[in-house]
Amino acid sequence: MSYVKAPAGHFTVLYFAAASSYTAKSCEHLPAPVPALELFAQLEKKYPGIGQKVLSSCAVTVNLEYIDLDGEDAQHKDLVISEGDEVAIIPPVSSG
Amino acid sequence: MSNSAQTTTSNSLPLPDSIPSEPVSWTTDTIHIELTPHALNHQTATTFVSSPSAGATVLFIGTTRDSFNNTPVSGLSYTSYTPLALHTLQSIASTVLAKHSLTKIFICHKLGECPVGEASILIAVSSPHRQAAWRAGEEALEETKKRAEIWKLEKFVGGEGVWRANRDGVMGVRVEDEGMAEETAGEEGNVVASE
Repeated sequence: MSYVKAPAGHFTVLYFAAASSYTAKSCEHLPAPVPALELFAQLEKKYPGIGQKVLSSCAVTVNLEYIDLDGEDAQHKDLVISEGDEVAIIPPVSSG
Repeated sequence: MSNSAQTTTSNSLPLPDSIPSEPVSWTTDTIHIELTPHALNHQTATTFVSSPSAGATVLFIGTTRDSFNNTPVSGLSYTSYTPLALHTLQSIASTVLAKHSLTKIFICHKLGECPVGEASILIAVSSPHRQAAWRAGEEALEETKKRAEIWKLEKFVGGEGVWRANRDGVMGVRVEDEGMAEETAGEEGNVVASE
């Protein structure tokens, strides 16, 4: 992976398409650790309105794996994003 | 929009890898997957899938259309989460290959600028008989459009752009405004088949 590596104590967030438009960034480093369930709330604080306008239709990957945070039994609801992780905000795709 | 600075993309640089400077590919004897900043060459696709044991080859070429709802489109630009998109395309190709007992499959997507009339995607499949090739070609395209981590920025004449979404019922996010009816203006397919 040739994305810019996060400095110590941080993880990387990649923004694509509408997420990159909204944040005016393609990637940034945020302090780790962060419970996965709190990621969207943190981003909302940084980018007011992003939750409803962008994140509500986005998926999230951590180290190239989609994470499932929806519902009580969600597989990754206890996941903690750690130092060095690569998180990506994945808007609805549009290839072709 | 209360803060238009947050919704413009024009000044947000793509990730270093979202448009790779060189093609990124993955190949086995039967599968070729590629994401490339270069113009697509459909002969590469049909050459890869050709085989003495295949009686049928189906080639799909998706090209950039010149309008969306009568609004002139000047071009498209594609970005991707390249490592994940490659992985997803591998998974789609392997599944379709096995399910339809294909001889070979080739999927290549253009990244970066894609002017009107230029190909954005090539899918070629070969199989012993035509039915499997037709079905597999369509399935590979539909799965790619549904799942591959690739995004289309549609640019209208005059400079405005819209991020499109293929998924039904999901609004594309307009770069400078919101609320445009959703329908993708992406590719208009050309299908060539031979047996």
